[in-house]
Amino acid sequence: MSQQREAYGETLGRLRRRLRTLHQCTNALLQAESEQALLRSICEILVAGGEVRLAWVGYCEDDAEKTVRPVAQAGDGVEYLERLKTSWGEIELGQGPVGVAVRTGHACWVDDIRTNPRFSPWRAAALARGYASCLAVPLIAYEASGGAVDLRGTLNLYAAECSAFDEHAIEHYTGLAASVAYAVTALRGHLAEDLTSGVTALRARAERKRAEEALQQAREELAHVTRVTTLGELAASIAHEINQPLAAIGADANACLHWLAADRPDLDSVRGALTAIVKDGLRAGEVITRIRALLTRSSVARGRCDLTGVIRDVLPLVGPEIRRHGISLEMSLAPNLPQVTGDRIQLQQVLLNLLMNAVEAMREVPPVRRRMVVRATTDHRDDGPWAIVAVEDAGVGFSQAEAPRLFEAFYTTKPGGLGMGLSISRSIIDNHRGRLWATTNSDHGATFQFALPGMP
Amino acid sequence: MLPTEPIGSIPRPAALIEGVQGFRAGRISQPELTALYDAAVQDTIRRLEATGSPVITDGEQAKHSFATYSIHGLENLSPDGVPISFADGHIRNLPRLTGGPFRYKTPADVYLEIAQRYAQVPLKQAVVSASALSLLYPQGGLRGYSREEYLDALIDEQEGEIRRCLKKGAHVVQMDFTEGRLSIKLDPTRRLLRSFIDLNNLVLERFSAEERKRIGVHTCPGADRHSTHSADVDYAELLPSLFELQATSFYVQLASEPHRQRVLKLIREHAKATQRIFVGVIDPLDPRVETAEEIRDRVLEAAEYIPPDRLGTTDDCGFAPFSDDTSRTRGTAFDKIRARVAGTALASTVLGVD
Ligand SMILES: Nc1ncnc2c1ncn2[C@@H]1O[C@H](COP(=O)(O)OP(=O)(O)O)[C@@H](O)[C@H]1O
Ligand SMILES: [Mg+2]
Ligand SMILES: [Zn+2]
Repeated sequence: MSQQREAYGETLGRLRRRLRTLHQCTNALLQAESEQALLRSICEILVAGGEVRLAWVGYCEDDAEKTVRPVAQAGDGVEYLERLKTSWGEIELGQGPVGVAVRTGHACWVDDIRTNPRFSPWRAAALARGYASCLAVPLIAYEASGGAVDLRGTLNLYAAECSAFDEHAIEHYTGLAASVAYAVTALRGHLAEDLTSGVTALRARAERKRAEEALQQAREELAHVTRVTTLGELAASIAHEINQPLAAIGADANACLHWLAADRPDLDSVRGALTAIVKDGLRAGEVITRIRALLTRSSVARGRCDLTGVIRDVLPLVGPEIRRHGISLEMSLAPNLPQVTGDRIQLQQVLLNLLMNAVEAMREVPPVRRRMVVRATTDHRDDGPWAIVAVEDAGVGFSQAEAPRLFEAFYTTKPGGLGMGLSISRSIIDNHRGRLWATTNSDHGATFQFALPGMP
Repeated sequence: MLPTEPIGSIPRPAALIEGVQGFRAGRISQPELTALYDAAVQDTIRRLEATGSPVITDGEQAKHSFATYSIHGLENLSPDGVPISFADGHIRNLPRLTGGPFRYKTPADVYLEIAQRYAQVPLKQAVVSASALSLLYPQGGLRGYSREEYLDALIDEQEGEIRRCLKKGAHVVQMDFTEGRLSIKLDPTRRLLRSFIDLNNLVLERFSAEERKRIGVHTCPGADRHSTHSADVDYAELLPSLFELQATSFYVQLASEPHRQRVLKLIREHAKATQRIFVGVIDPLDPRVETAEEIRDRVLEAAEYIPPDRLGTTDDCGFAPFSDDTSRTRGTAFDKIRARVAGTALASTVLGVD
């Protein structure tokens, strides 16, 4: 009777311990952050539960020996594992519980390590560590869909007593191994998810960068095209501008020939005429150089820029057009304007646009009113000095309703207008970390101006 | 002749394997070890050249493994990473990243430079794929170093590695992409495979079309012919995605495939017209040395599916992807390579390719 009770109590104690380990294992399954951490804590819990001395998880490899490699372990006998060689192949090292469990997909156990021939390759080492029986259960996850995912691995347990793994124990550990396998597949699913989200983010970033580059390139090409267009519009007056010095050169040269033909040439006059020729030649050459610069280069080159210089670059190009329309031009350039960082050609283009717009805004107004001012000033702000260039005209101006649309691409009120000038100008100035804006003048016309941060 | 190239590794000489163990045990010094590496590279190159192979490698004599060579010895790694044994036995246990920032320690161009000292014929350089190394990042995440930051750094590192190899004159740079099949196993929905392909393409897209002509991809999905109940992942699931990789040359394991014609059909269907297929005609796992005639017939078989101007030959895989692998001998490896060259020459004559 008491013997029976004792046995009963023992069973009860074992069940209780098993329940506790199971509970701990369930927590580990729920909390695990990685496959490795999960396998390790399951082994640790099983050993701490007291039923087994050594617990390890092995995964199959497809090397020549068909090794089963330990990937997690806990308990007494880590050196045993280091030296242990197990295989899942049909060789002697594959006849142990581990190899059989892998191949059959079912639990395999050895009740008595001392006598079971299956275990002979490892017997001596196992007995030396005090293992008497052992169990290997396959890691196979069964999905709700009815499918099974075989991790091609086993959970392996070693106990100090013979026949430690009875029918109930085997059922218990088989169930646990299935849960572990299921949790592992879930974690591997997360692995896919994590990687996918990381890669997706990078891909989005790469696409964005590519789109930006394409946009930037398109912008530059467009800027170049509009530059060419603007110059086309200016061609007549520029040709005229160049013609003037060329005609003067011709006249001066003729005069020289004439003087030199005299018996006693008037060398002073010759010298004077030649000096004029040189000057006119330079003037014509300069205009051509500027045009060529505006026409040819379409890529951006940033550098130190002096805005007064930019204004001087552009004036010879629009000068003739301004004069042709009988517009009086006034310049007010503050000395010591801060230098800015920028692309000289692009800044010339902005100014050219503003000047051309001003000219065009004054086409229809009475000649007496046709007057424009180019003003360069310094604005001392909290973050340092800014250079401001303003083009003030007395043209048709714009209404409050038009104001927000002026800088839109393709917005134009001119019959042959493109509506690109101001939009490109604004993107150029934005790219220079500056600002371009328009205001209406109190009397007539409008003022378009841009501000750029000065270089420290 | 049709182009023919090795994959990469050759078993290390016993003296080197012992030397590495000796170095770990403190018995020999770093300079002594370096001398052993040098001798192994020199001997391997000499013997590879003697096979007549028009393109060779350094036999990966100094690489720790095909997958971990660039990161071996990094301080911010611990050995207990993703415990995944890749389907073909390539990667056993990946290390785990323990903190950022991530940088390669020994990029492949370092090995290339050493090999260039000895090689007389064009050298090919293998690099590990970014997708394989993407698995170094721990699943639970790392405080202060996000997965995205890691992947970003990884892509930069690999771009730099490939770029330097190209610049230093590698005949071709081969990305070892052996985890495609594994990814389908891990994630049957194939999102992981998608991500792997995407990630590798993020690297490949950083190169111009011209540069990509010198970039290839090696795949060897292996076959679990011995496991009875593991979900078998077929080439059919992998190949369509594989050819989405923005590379020009593809080095495809084929010799050991049980149904070669089926695979060849898949290749014909899915490879892009600009991609060249180097079919595996040598099975490194098989100890028997193939005859030149056998090789010739395998090439001719492949030529029925792939036009000769897009066809090349290779070995199914490296002969020793891991440095401590002694399951195959050097002699056999060289003999097999010699057979590949001879067989490819025979097939080229039949096909009228000179
Ligand atoms: N100085 C100005 N005075 C009045 N309106 C202007 C002025 N400059 C530009 N605008 C208005 O902004 C519109 C857009 O200018 P812009 O982008 O240069 O294109 P476009 O000159 O081809 O019309 C012009 O059509 C005009 O209506
Ligand atoms: Mg305009
Ligand atoms: Zn391979």
